[in-house]
Amino acid sequence: MPDIFVATDKQTVNPATTLSEPLTQEKSAHLENLNETNFPQKRTHLFSAFYKNPQGIYFKNQEKDEKILLFIRRSIITNFKWVLVSIIFLLLPLLAYLFVNFGGQIISFPTKYILFFLAFYYLLVFTYIYVNFITWYFNIAFVTNIRVVDIDFSGLIYKNIAATKLSLIQDVSLIQAGAVRTFFNYGDVFVQTAGTYTNFEFEAAPQPENAVHIIEDLIGKPNGHL
Amino acid sequence: MDIFNLLFANNLILALTKVFFLATDLMFILFLIVVFRQVTLMQSLVKDTTDSFLLKSIIIALIIGSVSLFLTALVIL
Repeated sequence: MPDIFVATDKQTVNPATTLSEPLTQEKSAHLENLNETNFPQKRTHLFSAFYKNPQGIYFKNQEKDEKILLFIRRSIITNFKWVLVSIIFLLLPLLAYLFVNFGGQIISFPTKYILFFLAFYYLLVFTYIYVNFITWYFNIAFVTNIRVVDIDFSGLIYKNIAATKLSLIQDVSLIQAGAVRTFFNYGDVFVQTAGTYTNFEFEAAPQPENAVHIIEDLIGKPNGHL
Repeated sequence: MDIFNLLFANNLILALTKVFFLATDLMFILFLIVVFRQVTLMQSLVKDTTDSFLLKSIIIALIIGSVSLFLTALVIL
């Protein structure tokens, strides 16, 4: 008698379990599929905050067959505060000039001193812009087919680099609270690991649901539990 | 009316202003060197082939600008 129902021999592929062992054919095929169909390669630009499978980005200790699948910076909108402050600082000498012309002089300096001060002032403002920009630029988190790396860089003197293998990740969650975060679609992504470094936090990550789905897919968890 | 008129100020005040500018600029150059070092370190950690040249050029331009200001203060002020 022929079988009415034959269960297909489905095997869930979990690349996280393959890290210490050589990749089996099926598992490597799954990773290839993730790389090529779901993540078409794209070249990043200076203001990229969320990129799947970015091109032209390399990191220290990257293994030969290791590919960056997801690249995250804080959402570009989080720079709004310092950009506004910079614009005010850039316009301040103009306002001061108008005040001196119409409001009366308070202090007089020789012209060369004023010019020097102005040049120095603008150099400070441009440095302020640059430092804030690189603080945002180097605050990176990325997910490769082998591990998750979180680089916290703030205030030029604080640097914290943490990495964990995908096999050690236990759970991924996100918090998106507030009108601004909802409107601009960014939030905090938390990656819980079994290691001593218990929590990875991708602060103000753009498209947090997308990021969570991608990490879940990589660690072999179903996507539908959000 | 000018409260502090330094147009005809005595040489001592102008000399002190010059020293102040020189000291501030020197500290600023040191700060920029620290920034340059950090950028180089971070770029060795994560290298973005499209942007690394631009970022380094900007900090080098800022250092050149501050050094030229320092020399200007030294000679002209």
